[in-house]
This record gives sequence, C-alpha cells and structure tokens, in this order.
Amino acid sequence: MMQFTETLPPPLHQTTKPCQNFATSVNPNQTHRTRPWPGFPAPNKPLGTFGDANCMEQLLVRCANAIETNDATLSQQILWVLNNIAPSDGDSNQRLTCGFLRALIARAAKTGTCKMLTAALSNSNITIQTHKFSIIELASFVDLTPWHRFGFTAANAAILEAVEGYSTVHIIDLSLTHCMQIPTLIDAMAGKLEGPPVVKLTIAGATEDVPPMLDLSYEELGIKLVNFARSRNIILEFTVIPSSSLDGFSSLIEHLKLQTLVHGNETNEALVINCHMMLHYIPEETPTTPFSFEDATPRALFLKQIRSLNPTLVVLADEDADFTSTNLVCRLRSAFNYLWIPYDIVDTFLPKGSKQRQWYEADICWKIENVIAQEGSHRVERLEPRSRWVHRMRNTGFRGVGFGEDMVAEVKGMLDEHAAGWGLKKEEDDLVLTWKGHNVVFATAWVPT
Amino acid sequence: MTTELDNTSAVNESTVSGEASISSLGNQTAAPPEKPVKRKRNLAGMPVNFSCLKHIDPDAEVIALSPKTLMATNRFVCEICNKGFQRDQNLQLHRRGHNLPWKLKQRTSKEIRKRVYVCPEPSCVHHDPSRALGDLTGIKKHFCRKHGEKKWKCDQCSKKYAVQSDWKAHLKICGTREYKCDCGTLFSRRDSFITHRAFCDALAVESAKGQAEDEPSKKDEDPKPLLIESAPQSTSTASPPPPPPPASLPPPPPTTTTPAVPVTSSVLCIAKTPDSLQVNIAKKEILVYNACLPADLPEISKSNNDSRPVLENPSQLVAGLTGSSSGSCSSTNTGSTSSSVFASLFASSTASKTLQPQPQPQTTGYKDLIRSMTQPTQTPDLTLPSSAQETISLCLSTNQGSSIFRTAGQELRQYAPPPQPTMSATALLQKAAQMGASASGASLLRGYGLDAGQRDDTDGGASIGLGLGVGYDGRSGLEELMMGTPSVYGPKHTTLDFLGLGMAAGGGTTNGLSALMTSIGGSLDVTAAVSSFGRGGRAGSGEFTGKDMGTQ
Repeated sequence: MMQFTETLPPPLHQTTKPCQNFATSVNPNQTHRTRPWPGFPAPNKPLGTFGDANCMEQLLVRCANAIETNDATLSQQILWVLNNIAPSDGDSNQRLTCGFLRALIARAAKTGTCKMLTAALSNSNITIQTHKFSIIELASFVDLTPWHRFGFTAANAAILEAVEGYSTVHIIDLSLTHCMQIPTLIDAMAGKLEGPPVVKLTIAGATEDVPPMLDLSYEELGIKLVNFARSRNIILEFTVIPSSSLDGFSSLIEHLKLQTLVHGNETNEALVINCHMMLHYIPEETPTTPFSFEDATPRALFLKQIRSLNPTLVVLADEDADFTSTNLVCRLRSAFNYLWIPYDIVDTFLPKGSKQRQWYEADICWKIENVIAQEGSHRVERLEPRSRWVHRMRNTGFRGVGFGEDMVAEVKGMLDEHAAGWGLKKEEDDLVLTWKGHNVVFATAWVPT
Repeated sequence: MTTELDNTSAVNESTVSGEASISSLGNQTAAPPEKPVKRKRNLAGMPVNFSCLKHIDPDAEVIALSPKTLMATNRFVCEICNKGFQRDQNLQLHRRGHNLPWKLKQRTSKEIRKRVYVCPEPSCVHHDPSRALGDLTGIKKHFCRKHGEKKWKCDQCSKKYAVQSDWKAHLKICGTREYKCDCGTLFSRRDSFITHRAFCDALAVESAKGQAEDEPSKKDEDPKPLLIESAPQSTSTASPPPPPPPASLPPPPPTTTTPAVPVTSSVLCIAKTPDSLQVNIAKKEILVYNACLPADLPEISKSNNDSRPVLENPSQLVAGLTGSSSGSCSSTNTGSTSSSVFASLFASSTASKTLQPQPQPQTTGYKDLIRSMTQPTQTPDLTLPSSAQETISLCLSTNQGSSIFRTAGQELRQYAPPPQPTMSATALLQKAAQMGASASGASLLRGYGLDAGQRDDTDGGASIGLGLGVGYDGRSGLEELMMGTPSVYGPKHTTLDFLGLGMAAGGGTTNGLSALMTSIGGSLDVTAAVSSFGRGGRAGSGEFTGKDMGTQ
C-alpha cells in the first residue's frame, strides 16, 4: 500500500550529511510563507534534514507543482536545490531523487515555459542510457534479485501443477524478461513423472522497447530455447506473434482464437497464460470512481479476451504499486514510495560504479522518466496494485487458485538464496514478495470460474 | 488474512535473539546493542553460533529447564485446533484468529527483565549461567545439536543431523554447491545455471560439435552437481564408442520397421555425418546416466553400442520434422559452418535461417526427403494420403530461407479472418492424416519411419536415417526405435532433479515480518512503522544494509 506522508514524521535516522548549499541559497521558511501550496500542507518545521527521503519527496512534489503551474522561477530554484542535494552517485535516496530530478527536468523541458531552466542544468547528464543486454547478461541480471525470480518460481510451480496430465502444454508467455522464465520451466517439465509433454511457446514480439532490452532477435532466442528443450528431451514449438501492449495484444489474441478455430478443441492441450510484469503496459487510467471497473477499459477487455480462450491457468505477476493516476503529483509520490526499493536493494549487493549497477539503475531511471515526464500513449509504465488486478480478474470470471504449501516452500527456498531483507507474504490466495516489509511484487494464479 | 512467512530460519533466530538482547539493554546505555541482523547467513547445517548474553546483562533472569521440558515442543496448545506453540504470546495471537479471548502480556517496567537460558547438560559450557543463551529456540537447538541424537540422515551423503531444520537445509544444498557451464561460468544455484545454460553458446556448440572431433564429447550437457560429475564422466571415457567404419553399411536392425511405441508426434531425422549423430548419442548416454540409477548403466551403454551400426549410415542432412506449426528442431546451430543442418518442415512452410549458408546440402536433403516421401507404397502397411504429400511438397518449395517465427505471425495477421486459407501446414497435415491414415493420425508419420527402414534395406547407401520421436527429439526417437528400449527415458527422468527444490525451508513460520520490522525500525508497532514512517523504516534500514545483505 502506498503511504502518502502529509506531514514529516520524525526522522528515524539522519542518513546523510546536511547540505549547506540549500541553507544559504533558499530559505525554506520564507518560501513556505510566500507560497503556500494548495493541497500540500507545509511541514511544521523547516526542511532540516536535507538528505532525508521525506524531505526529498517534499521538494520533488513542490517542484512538480511548480512545473505544473508553469512557475519557472520556483521550479528552477527547487531543481537547483535538488541538483545539489541529490548527486547521481550519492546514497540510494540521493540516487532515487536524482532519477526523479532528471525526470522532472525532462518534463519541464517539454512543457515550454520552463524551457530556460533546462539549459541551466543541461550540463548534468540527463540522458538515460539504458543498456542493451546480451542474452547471457540478461540471464545473470535477472538472476541478481528475486524481483523477477519470485514471479518465475511461483508461476512455474503453479503451471507445473496445473498442466499435470496434459500431453501438450501451450504457454503464452507475456513477459517483460524475454523468456527468462522458460528454461527453468522446461527443465521442471522435463523432470516430471509421467514424461515430458510437448510444449508450445507463444510469445508477443513487442513492438515498443521497454527495458530490459535485449540485443538478440526473438528468432535467435527461439532457436536457443528449442535447442535447450531438445537437450531436455522436450519438443518445443516456438512462435512469435508481433503484438503490442498498446492495443491489448490484439493480434496475439486473434492468433490464439484462430488456432482454436483451426484445431478445434485440441484434446489434452493445456493453455497457460503467463503474464509476468507485462499487463501493466496495457493502457489504463485510474478509474474515475474507486470501484467502477468498467468493461470497456483496455485491461478489462484484454482479460475478457483471455477468458474467452478458456485457459487452463492464468498466472499474473506484477509490481505492486499504482502509477495510473492522471495527477502528476500523485504519480510522483506513488513512484517515489515504490521505486526506492530497487535502489535500496541494489545498494546491498552491487558495488557503486559497477557495470551491472549502472544498467540496473538506468532501467529504474527509465521507469521514473516514463512515469513522470511522459504522457498519453508514451507513458507506458502504468502499474496497478494487486487489489485492483484481483478485483478485475474476479469481475472477468476468474477464480483465484492460490499457491499450495509446497509452492510456498519453493518460493521461500528461492528467497533463502538472496539477501535477508526479502520476505514473503500470503494475502488471500496470493503471494506477495516484500522488501523489508514493503510490498514489491505480487503473484496470483487464476482459473476460469 | 495476512500470514507472515519468514525468510530464513537463521534470520528468524537472529532477529529473535537480537530483539531479546536489545530489550534487555533498554536501561543500559553503556553497552552498544549488537546489531541483530549483522551476521551473515549461516551455511546450512552449520550450528548457529548463539551469542552468550550473560556477560552483557548481568541482571538477566537465568532459566534452567530440564531436558524434557526443553524438548517439549509447542507447549502452548490451542484448545480449538490443537495447534501447538512454543510461546504463550504466539498462542494468544493465534487465539485471536478463533475469536477467542486473548491476552498479550504487556511489558511493564518490571517485566523488562531479560531471560537467558542455560543448557541442561552439566558438562556443557552453556550450563554455566555466565554462558547462557539468549533465547529459548537457541538453547533448544543447541541442546539438540550438541547433546541430542542425530536422527536425521541425508540419504545422499549420509550426513546426520539432530535438528530437522538443519537437515532440511542441508538436503536443499547437498551436492548442489556448484554447477559449471562449459563456458567456464560457475553457478551455485540450479535455476541460475539452467537459465544461463539455455542461452549460453556452449550448449549450441555442444550440439553441433562432434563433426570436427573424432572423439565423442565428454562434456555433459545435463546440469549436474560437480560432486557426482566423476560418475558419468568416467563412464563415458571408459567406454567410448569405437570410431565407426565409414565404408560398411550394415542393414538397420529389424526393430526399425516395427515401431512399438505409440506415436504422438514425430521427428524425422536425417543425419549429415555419422559423427554428429554419434556424438549426440554419446551425450544422450551421459544424460541417461544422470537420469538413471547406477544399476541401469550397463544396459544403456549396451544400447548405445547397439545403436551405432544404424548411425553409421552416411547422411546428408538433418531434417527435423515436427508435428505442428512453426516447430523448429534445430539442434544444430548457426555457429557450425559445415555441421548437420536441421530443416524444419510443417513450420508454416518455412525453414529456419540456419539453412541459408548451405544451399547445397539443403537441396540434396530435400531431394532425399521428397524421394523418401514419394515412395510410400514401398511400405506395406501404410497408405500415404496424397494431400499430405502435396502439403509437404508445398512446404519444401516455398521455404527459401525465410524465418519461421515471423512468418507464422505475419501470415496469420495478414489473413486474419478466414480460417481456411490460413490453415497452416500442420493443420492440413493433420486433416490429411485423419482422412488417410487407417488406425490413427500418427500412423502417417510412422510410415515415414518404415519407409526409411525399407530404403536403407534396398539401396544400401541411402543417405537418410529416419527416426521417430515420442515426445522426444529426433535422436532419442531414433535410438529408441532402433533399440526397442523405449522405456529408458520415461519415468526415470524425474531423478534429473537433484536439488529437491521443493524441499521446505526449515525453521518456524510465524515471526517473519514482525521480527524483521522490529529489528529494522526499532519499533514494536509494525503497523505504525509501515504506515506513517513509510520511509522511516527505510531510512532506519541503514544499519540493515550492506554487510548482512551482502550474501549475494
């Protein structure tokens, strides 16, 4: 759940050194007196602890407000302050703030009136260099944390149980990670008791690039996977359907519907739809009234289409946050209160300045930039919290199947291989990955009712 | 309802003991509190080194429990569901779930007094109150480990454990400490290795290798713990298949013409060189070694020897024929320049890009293939439907070099609405098979195998080896077919999973998050910590990072 801190809680830790620049250049009290910001009660005390994340969030929020109200002077001031207190090579909070700072600059540069100030800050490197991973790099990259592995492990366990007894398994892999889940799934299937099934793998060849990006074509990827499956005595049929999340993967759905038309009800074929951090790229705004999940929204439509395929199992794993608000400040707060997690995580196991860390942080920066600076169809990072997905799935005619004890044990076993900050929660039928108690990623499994 | 599941048992222990130590130090400002989560994770099976607290807090209440009391697990039992708990507090929390009256002890100033526990074994150093341990679980496990019976035995390495959680933790890692890919990269986790292995070029090279070498590859392509590596390796080197006499072309064994196994999907396999197939078989042998119990080994090596004469047939091409659209069986890869080539038929009438560099063998291969398919009447028990023939011919003629994968999708996109024109080669073939085949749709494909056998009989130097796979790849299918040992790979495959990943993690399951949060934020009120100090917990995590997390 998101926390909106309206007032500054007493800081538990004075994490970073105070910044003298701030104190000498801008008097925050004065700023506050002359410019009361509607909707955002000012802190009762001066912004004393400059390195504090809450303070940084306040500054970012003010800056976003200033940009939104075309207040060039104020936004320039705050950007300048932020630029001083949030070096891109600082601690994880500073890096996080720096990511938002860059995003705000990018946004300001687009809105027009604030264009001037971007020139002032242009010396700071604000272009985000997302890395194009080689397949091997990506494999080890995804392997660094449970961020993706959690979904992989939970989904694999659920899939393995659901396809028990089927001779053919058709997996639709809608995954952000370019099939990184598939080898372990194939391997697990190869070890199954009654002999490995034939596996059909259909993936959506995304037309838009979101990190992590791969420098390998899906054709070559498919060859590798087929080859690997052979080594495990599994026949793998690999299909790429060029398909875009923007239209709810409509061409993929068309393809699947056509297949069922041609083949009819294929006997003994399990259809598994594995959605790994991908569905939140289907466009969606915050519903106008809290619990009106209208059928016409793209995501509801997509799920409806999926439901009409009558799948054996649908696994949905995604990041547990809300980036759908139309309000920039809401989004900023949401993102700030979620994306600290990857920064905090990376601090624990990758040295500053390492290549992998740069890639890792560039991808987060890309995300921040997308949430903050982009609008319309370019703003693709539209996470939704678990509760909303669950509600939507139920409305579409799915029933949660939950994860059995052995599956939970498997996920726990996986978490044991990682840092101690990771945790696992069971909420209703679902599994939630936590970092220091904060929800990170949820995994849910569904069958048609 | 929210259930907390703790991460590791070790963490659980450490946080609990840490909490205890901190609370005992509440009114002692002098001694610095030891950071509860600072310690690195313990290696599984290694006893946790509990801190002796007495020297820190001389005022602690020393508890000496008898061995019986100490070992009585879960003394506090819920009257509703009979679930037992080690602590009354936990039982009270549990009772809340039953809507029973419950009461948590409030910490009054008097109750701050710390409790420490001594080991009941008089000869033990922890019997002395000055070396008492900080928490009940700790002393329990200590007593078990040091003075209890080791009744948990690992079946693999015969190591014994007194504490079940230690044993479980060991089982998870026994023999799995390291995985090594042929590219030289080491992995400590099986999943990591599997994922890497799937995409590593070493696997592709592996499957293509063999042509350049005379010796069959000794490398194992199946993931295996290094610990047992010696077994398959020594076997494979001890009995390497002798080099095949290139000139001799013995007739295939009679089993070829009578596939006894039910065919669900078939793979047509035409080997270009004898070596490549042989190497594959050699690898298969190793694979099977890994998958089988040691008792099976002689039988398998025998089957490998038996299979060789068949494989010695010089062939022109490896063509994978899979039973559905866009399936590709390219075991041979882009990396090899002159190795055998897999052409995938039925794959939306295309072949994969790997075919492109070698137009020559491709065409001859196809010629052979077509020839083999246009001689169906040689096989007595099969009438090949003519429509299927047409389909296949069509596939072959329209396949030049385009990619399998894109084409499938694009075609379907272009001709989306009407099903008939977009019907894939697979679908047509299936239809044809249904129409033409006598017993089942699979017999069509079985016919190919029979046909191949006949051809090998008749023109001796025929350049085709045909194999049928039963949900397996071409090689295994071929092997099975020739040997008549179809059951080799079946159920025993389960033993491929050495890891026992499904093994439950040891330790308790109750304290997880709350203990974690407690240790992070220094606040007992988890809810408050989460909600109001959204980042308070995070900021407070400064001490939480780095060292303790750095177990990566």
